[in-house]
Amino acid sequence: MKTKSKIAVLGVCTILMLLMDLPFLQLVEEAEAIAGVRRRTARRTAVVVGSATAASASAATASANQQAAAAQQQAATATAEAEAAKQQAAAAQAEAEAYKQQAAAAQAAAAPAGGTLPIGTVVTALPAGCTTMNSGGVEYHSCGGNYYRAAFQGSQLVYVTAQP
Amino acid sequence: MTTRNLGTAMALLALGTVVLLVNPTPARPEGPTIEPEAARLLKRMTDYMAGLDRFSLETDNMLEDVLVSGQKIQYDFTASVQIQRPDRLRAERTGDLFQQLLVYDGATLAIYNPKDGYYAKADAPDNIDDLLHFARDTLDIVPPTGDIVFTNAYDLLIAGVTEGFVVGKSMVAGVKCDHLAFRTQFVDWQIWIADGDQPLPYKYVLTTMDDPAHPQYLVLMSNWNVAPDFNDAMFRFTKPEGAKQIEFLRMDAGQSAMH
Repeated sequence: MKTKSKIAVLGVCTILMLLMDLPFLQLVEEAEAIAGVRRRTARRTAVVVGSATAASASAATASANQQAAAAQQQAATATAEAEAAKQQAAAAQAEAEAYKQQAAAAQAAAAPAGGTLPIGTVVTALPAGCTTMNSGGVEYHSCGGNYYRAAFQGSQLVYVTAQP
Repeated sequence: MTTRNLGTAMALLALGTVVLLVNPTPARPEGPTIEPEAARLLKRMTDYMAGLDRFSLETDNMLEDVLVSGQKIQYDFTASVQIQRPDRLRAERTGDLFQQLLVYDGATLAIYNPKDGYYAKADAPDNIDDLLHFARDTLDIVPPTGDIVFTNAYDLLIAGVTEGFVVGKSMVAGVKCDHLAFRTQFVDWQIWIADGDQPLPYKYVLTTMDDPAHPQYLVLMSNWNVAPDFNDAMFRFTKPEGAKQIEFLRMDAGQSAMH
């Protein structure tokens, strides 16, 4: 009889322990879902590494000044999009909406390349063949019929069309 | 009460408990569902950090960009951050996207790109909290670890959170941490906080959910020093030889010409 009650108690305990574990299992599932996000990211990264040429080309254009010559329409658009996403990620914390508007603005900004631009146009990279001049203590880059002066838009160095 | 009634009552109670345990997904209540323990751990960290007079740390940042094609590109940069409350901040960022020094001395915020030889200065508020708001709202600059430096960081972090829970214990670069996960309307975020008597953050991940590519921003924090030796010169910007001053494009100036 005593043994039987012990077995019964043990059995109840085991069942209770299993039941107690249920919420925990639930949590592990969610944790795995989070780990799944990381795994997907890794897979994407692998794909990027696989197509190294395309990736490095994009990365190169994105790092603005290094190749001012590479300010073709396409590269500029990619850079703008990248910048937009960057702002979105960093900002998301608080004012997602505000930043989206800004991202859209940034995208619009880098689009034109070539021809005379309205004063105050912001670009993330200078076109090819710029010469530097100084007017009133301010440095201007002259290229393609436009004058640009450097400025910080947030943490990013940009160039704004201006009249010396 | 007879023994039999007591037995029946206990059986019913046990049955009720079993039913509750077996059905762990009760109807979701309206409003935020934040586990009290997740909120407590987060607040413990922000309270601890708000109480630090000075500290320094290093960060490794990984930032994902989404190209037009939908392809994600990840950029890396590191930052070295020194903070002295209430009004000194220095951060140096080095990497793919940034090569930049940011210095704040309680009156002026300066940023300097050594590679390009350009710097800009702005009159700034007289304390770090206001400086961070000013930098973000007016200049569009988010200083490294800005989110967690505010003295009221808890209120800012928890605002807009719809769900929050403790994922569990985790090891980040050898430090035992509590891993917390939160959701807001547009961003899922996770933070890893040391579980010892110095509840400092060691990892922070933002996932942008309203972009189909779900780009992430990941920060690993290390080399925490809560009693560093600083000197005033560290927080003062001196124009480097040959550097040229340029302007900030302020957000409040409305860069409408951009369109």
